[in-house]
Amino acid sequence: MRQIDAKTGCDSDACSCDSTESDENTRRQFLRSARTVTLGAISLTVLPSTLASETTPSSNDAGEPENGKESTPLYGFLVDTSTCIGAGKCLTACRVENNVPEGQYRTWVERYIHFKDGRIQVDQVPESGYAGSDVEKVDEDLVERAYFVPKLCNHCEDAPCNQVCPTHASITSPEGVELVDPDLCIGCAYCVQACPYGVRFVNHETGNADKCTWCYHRIMREEQPACVEACPVDARVFGRLDDPESEINKRLATVPTHVLKEHLGTHPKLHYIGISKEVT
Amino acid sequence: MRLIRDLRHILIVLAVLVIGGAGGQFLRTAMIPESFGRQGPYRADALVTIASQKSRFPSAEKCHKCHEDVREEREETLHAGVACVHCHGLGEKHIAEAEAIAKSENAEGTVTPAEPWDGQFPSTIDLFISQDRKTCLVCHESVVGMPEDFRKIDVAAHLDEQGADDPDSPDTCFECHGNHDTAP
Amino acid sequence: MPEANFIFPNDVHPPWSIMIVLYPYVTGLVAGAFVVSALYHVFRQEALKPVARLALVTSLCFCAFATIPLLLHLHHPERCFQVVITPSVTSAMAGFGFIYSMYMLLLIVEVWLVYRPEIVERAASSQGGVMGLFYRILALGDREITPGARAIDNWLIGALAMLGIPVACVLHGYVGFLFGAIKSNPWWSTSLMPVIFLASAIVSGIAALILLYQFICWRRGKRPDLDCVRSLCRYLWGFLVLAFALETLEVGQMAYESGGEWHILSVLLTEHLAVSYGLIQVLIGSVIPFLLLPIAIIRRLPGRLTTFLSALASLLVLIQVFAMRWNVVVGGQLFSKSFRGFVEFHLPVGGREGIVAAIIVLILPVVALWCAIKIFPVCEETDDSEISQLQGIQE
Repeated sequence: MRQIDAKTGCDSDACSCDSTESDENTRRQFLRSARTVTLGAISLTVLPSTLASETTPSSNDAGEPENGKESTPLYGFLVDTSTCIGAGKCLTACRVENNVPEGQYRTWVERYIHFKDGRIQVDQVPESGYAGSDVEKVDEDLVERAYFVPKLCNHCEDAPCNQVCPTHASITSPEGVELVDPDLCIGCAYCVQACPYGVRFVNHETGNADKCTWCYHRIMREEQPACVEACPVDARVFGRLDDPESEINKRLATVPTHVLKEHLGTHPKLHYIGISKEVT
Repeated sequence: MRLIRDLRHILIVLAVLVIGGAGGQFLRTAMIPESFGRQGPYRADALVTIASQKSRFPSAEKCHKCHEDVREEREETLHAGVACVHCHGLGEKHIAEAEAIAKSENAEGTVTPAEPWDGQFPSTIDLFISQDRKTCLVCHESVVGMPEDFRKIDVAAHLDEQGADDPDSPDTCFECHGNHDTAP
Repeated sequence: MPEANFIFPNDVHPPWSIMIVLYPYVTGLVAGAFVVSALYHVFRQEALKPVARLALVTSLCFCAFATIPLLLHLHHPERCFQVVITPSVTSAMAGFGFIYSMYMLLLIVEVWLVYRPEIVERAASSQGGVMGLFYRILALGDREITPGARAIDNWLIGALAMLGIPVACVLHGYVGFLFGAIKSNPWWSTSLMPVIFLASAIVSGIAALILLYQFICWRRGKRPDLDCVRSLCRYLWGFLVLAFALETLEVGQMAYESGGEWHILSVLLTEHLAVSYGLIQVLIGSVIPFLLLPIAIIRRLPGRLTTFLSALASLLVLIQVFAMRWNVVVGGQLFSKSFRGFVEFHLPVGGREGIVAAIIVLILPVVALWCAIKIFPVCEETDDSEISQLQGIQE
C-alpha cells in the first residue's frame, strides 16, 4: 500500500513530489532563518538595555567567586532601651563623624515618660547631654516609668525609600545597608516623604538626600559605627545577622524584640529591646 | 502616488519621531554611568565613594595601641567600655602626629600636649584632659528615663552623703574617684 | 498615645513647598483643557466647537511650562535628566520623564494637525522674514492642502484626541498615585488619590477655559457663544459634583472608620486646615459654584449675567482646585511622622520656592498663550468658511 505523508501529501515510495518537497524545505529553511534573525535582532536591541539596569551579578562585590569561602555579610542593628542612659554621646559622635549639618539629624534619642496620671510625655535628649542643659527637670515622684529610645535609619528589607527613588540613587548595598548615591540624587525629597520613620532629610549643604548609613565607611573597614563606639553602656549593638554566633543574634534569640511601625511591612533590620506600643 | 503625496507630511513627522526616538535612546544608553548595573540596579562606584569616607571617631582600641598602660588600668573596671573621646576629645590631630612619628625614621618626637577642656560637647579642642565634673555628670547625674540599675546620683545629696570637702569645686568628683579606674 | 507633643527632628521643615503644589495644578489644567478638546473631537459635542481649538492651545502652553515648578524645587536640577537615564521602574516620579515627553509630543502633533490649513496658507502668502520662515518650516514645504491630505489629517486628529484621553489621564493620574501610594503618610495614602486628582484636574481645565474663552472674546469685542459657555458650565457642574463627592468620600470614610492615625488627622482638619479646607475648598470653592452654575445655564438669562455667573463660578473653582492641591501637599506635611505634633509651614516671598516665583510660574503659560494665539488663532468665525472649503464633507 502506498504510504502518503500526511504533511506533504507525498508518496514515500515514489519520487513524484520533488517540487512539493523542495518547496517544503525552502519554506522550513526560510522560517528557521527568519526565526534566528528575529531573535537575534530582539536580543541585540532590547535585552541589553533592559538587562543593564536590573541585573544582579554572579560574583560578589569583592570580585571573589560565589562559591568562595567569604560570603557577603548581612548586617543588622539592635537598640536596648533598657540600657540607654540618655547621655547623648552617640549624637555628638555621629554629627562629628559624618559632618551632619546643624538642625538635621542622622540619629536622635527620644525619651518617653509615663506619668502616674496616665499622661505620656515625649521629648528629645539634648545633643550635649542633660547636665548643664536648660531642659526642664521632670519631678520623679509623678513618674511611673520612663525610658530612652535612640532612633536611626531602620535599613528596611523592603525599604519604601528605595521603591520611590526616581533615579536609583537610594540603594541597598550587598551587605544590606541602605545608602544614597551622592552623584545620582536629584534632591527631589520623595524618599524623605516615603520614609515612615522620619530618618531622612535633604542635606542643606550637599543638596542630596541624607541619612544614617550605619557608618558604611567604618563597617567596611571592620570598625564599628561611630554611635556604637561612642555609647558608654552598649545600648547600641551592630553586627552580622547572618552569623548565628554574633552578639546581635544571641541577643535577638534570648529576649522579645520589636521593630517600629511593623504594620507597614517595611521589615526593618533595626530591632528594639524594651519598647512598647506608644513608640512611633 | 496620490496617497504618498497626501501622506507626505505624516511620513516626515513619523521619520522625525523615529529618528529622534532612536537617537534619544542611543544618547540615553550612552549616558548611563559606567558602573551602573555591574552589581545591581545602582552605580557600583557609589559604594566605593561612600566607603572611602575617612573615619573620625577613634575607638578605644585605637588609643590603647599606644597607651597600653591605660588599657591595663581600665581593663576590669566599670568604665572599660567608655570611649576615650568623651573625656579627651576627638584627638584627630594627635593621632595624625603620633602616627607620623611612628612611621618616621627614628620614631622619635613629641606630640602637641593636651589642653584644658573648654566645657563643650563636642569640644573645639582636639586633645584635652577633663577633670571637670560636667564630664562625669553628663552620664551620671540622675535624669528621668535612666534605667533603675544604672549608677546615677542626685549631685547635692551624693556630695553631702560622701562628705565631699569642696562640693562646689569643678573637680570635686576626683576627691574620691580615679580617672581611669573610677572606683572610689 | 496622641497626647504627647513631639515632632521628629527632621520633620521640622517640610521638604515639599509651593512648587510641588503648583506642579499638579499646572498639569491638571493641561489634562483638563485636553479633555474639553476631546469632548469635541472624540465625543462630538458640537456645542463645544468654539473652544475646541483654544482648549488644545491652552493645554499645549501650560504643558510647555509644566517642568518649571519641578526644576525650581529640585536641589540638583542639573541632574534632572537622570530620571530618564537611570529611571527606577518602581518610582512614580520616574514616570514623569517619559509620560511628559510622550504627552508633549502628542499635543504638538495634534496642534500642528489642527492648524495645518492656517499654517500652509500663511506659509504660501507670507512675504519673508522670521515669521515666514517659521510658517514654511511648520508647513514642511507644503503650499496647499489636498482634500485627501485634509481627510487624513482629520482622521489623525480624532485618533490622537482619542489616544490623548488615556495619556492625559496617566499624566495627571500618576501624580495622584505618587501621593496615594505613600503608606507612611495617612493623609495621602488612599487608592482614591489618582481619581480625585484626575476629577479635580478636569474641573480646573473646564473652569480655566470658561474664563479664557470669555476673556478673549471680550478683548476682541466679540460676543461669546453662550450655548458653548452653558455647555461648559454643565460639564463643570457635573465634574465638580464628581470631584467633590470623591474628596468628601475620602475624608468621610477616614473619619467614619476612625482608625489608625485619625486622632491626628482630625486635629489637622479641624485646626490647621480649617480655613484652607473647610472655608476655601468646601464652602467657597465647591458649594457656592455648585449653586451658581445651575443658575448660569438658564437660557433666558441675559448674556452678561451668564458671563458674570459662569466666570465667577469658574474663578471660585480654580481657587478650590488650588486649595485642594495645597491641602494635600502641605497638609500632609503639617503633622510629624511621630503623629504627635504639628509643624509650621512658612512660605517665603522670594527665593526659588517663594510666592514671587509661584506667580511667575502661573503667569508664564498665560503669556505663552497670548503669544500662541497670534500664531494659532482660536476664534473660529473668519476661518470657518475656508476650512469648510478645504474639508469638503469630511468633519
